[in-house]
Amino acid sequence: MSHCLTHRPRTGMLLVAPAFLFVLMLVLVPLGFAVYISLTDWPLIGSVKYIGLQNYTTIGNDTTFWHATMYTLIYTAIVTGPIFVLGYALAVLVRSNRRGAVFFRTAVFLPYVIGLSTLSFVTLLEVQPNTGIANVVLKKLHITDGTTAWLVNTVPATAVVCTLVIWFAAGLTMMLLMAGMQGIPSEVYESADLDGASWWDKELRITIPMLRRTIALSLILSVIGSFLAFNQFYILTQGGPGTSTTSVVMWIYECAFVELHLGAATTLSLVLVVVVGLVSALQFFLLRDDT
Amino acid sequence: MTTLTSRPRTEHVRPQEAHPAARRSPGGAVFYWTGGVLATLVFLVPLLWAVFRSFEPASRITATPSWSDVTHLSLGNYEDLFTGQIHLWRYVANSLMVSGGTAILVAVLSTFAGYGFAKFRFRGRGLVFALILLTLMVPFQAVLTPLFLELNIVHLTDSRIGLILFYATFNLPFGVFVMRNTFAAVPADLEDSAFIDGCGPMRCLFHVLRPLAVPGIATTVLYAFLASWTEFIGALTFLTKTDLFTLPVALLNIQTGTYGTLNYGYLIAGSVVAMVPCVILFVGLQRYYIRGLASGAVKG
Repeated sequence: MSHCLTHRPRTGMLLVAPAFLFVLMLVLVPLGFAVYISLTDWPLIGSVKYIGLQNYTTIGNDTTFWHATMYTLIYTAIVTGPIFVLGYALAVLVRSNRRGAVFFRTAVFLPYVIGLSTLSFVTLLEVQPNTGIANVVLKKLHITDGTTAWLVNTVPATAVVCTLVIWFAAGLTMMLLMAGMQGIPSEVYESADLDGASWWDKELRITIPMLRRTIALSLILSVIGSFLAFNQFYILTQGGPGTSTTSVVMWIYECAFVELHLGAATTLSLVLVVVVGLVSALQFFLLRDDT
Repeated sequence: MTTLTSRPRTEHVRPQEAHPAARRSPGGAVFYWTGGVLATLVFLVPLLWAVFRSFEPASRITATPSWSDVTHLSLGNYEDLFTGQIHLWRYVANSLMVSGGTAILVAVLSTFAGYGFAKFRFRGRGLVFALILLTLMVPFQAVLTPLFLELNIVHLTDSRIGLILFYATFNLPFGVFVMRNTFAAVPADLEDSAFIDGCGPMRCLFHVLRPLAVPGIATTVLYAFLASWTEFIGALTFLTKTDLFTLPVALLNIQTGTYGTLNYGYLIAGSVVAMVPCVILFVGLQRYYIRGLASGAVKG
């Protein structure tokens, strides 16, 4: 790599400077600022008081915080498996590039592109007692009497959100796995065929091991996405009844911008940054080139 | 939320030929078509249903559905939304400005930075690149409080510009990554010959490399636009003036009944308006979207 442009370091620096400035001012500085805020009692209006590590101990004793954490973990545990299994099955379906495959994968991916906030508004309408299509269909199938107020109780509300999210996110897993599957050289399968391998053998012994990195990637994306869940809860359940369906990000949001305890909210934000950072680091570890 | 594989994966797959892994799936065609039709029913029909619902008046939506609904379809919800007191066009315009502004800003910054990282050697290059990519790992949901305070100091809360700066920053790492790979794939000889012909680095970028960079730019723009169009928590936090709301926040306002009682007809029609650009952009530019997924720097 010795060509003329590489000998113009100043031009290179000038080219990357604007992007770096954005990241510096709107990510790195806020992160540093967050550490400071977490050490203070910072009401949005009024004077700021330095209180050391007090926020960290207060949060540890806050039952709603622990509840939000547990709830978010349970929610993550519920949706991760189905998103992956459904996404994998769909990837198997559309990886062939047969007639119709592009149409099928587009259809499956559309919910992901449309986004959770819009889909949550639509869902809100369709889970209303008697009139929402979810209830009408369940009544026609004689499963319920069609009067279920899904969003009023914790368990049915969680079921609605989980179903919505699985439906929304399966497309992303499908696309990632599909791209990975199409990248596996066909010679590998051909030689397995010569050995008389069955479809399942090939799936378990070739596809899955060779997709190790892509599988790790899609699982981690899905887990991090669940950790950061906000829109669907904010729009569909408002965290209720009570605070029973409040996710971690929702807790941070309410704490900061409704109760105006910026110090406490920022403390939890930092914990979240560390947790997500650790999960991402795990991903680097899993995805490293060790071959 | 983030991902980075240590080396970019192969972006290219043979598009037409059936993959052997699938060709020999059990049951063959019957399996494939049953699965495909089932998938379409599950994923596409609810969206079409939402479109159908948007043509029903609220009184019908909140009544027990019946077959006679199909004879009561009208554009009433859309007419009310756009010409009535809700002024939905204002929020559509806000969303277009914010998402369009973000997309353009990210494209410009990423193109320059991607070019710089791919084709120049300078001190601190690795460190700066690592710091930019680090942003992929920082969930923006978690820095909302310091960002809010910071933007507040410079009077950029309650501002479309502030929102654009925020969205642009969190879409930058992906863009820089994609553009760096795009420029890195251009053979060095190309610029060398341009350079010998007397081109400076900027002329080289604009005249020689531009056509080669277009697919990367398309991917960057598409992701930035879609991410900003659908973003919710940031817009909810940074905007308090109704005039400035983007579509998702405006829909929330319809939901919570700020414009009088909750009208489900308006909510569903507004949701359909919010869906349309996403569907058009994705269907039209799908190959750029998939290119982005394959680049190895996806934010979920």
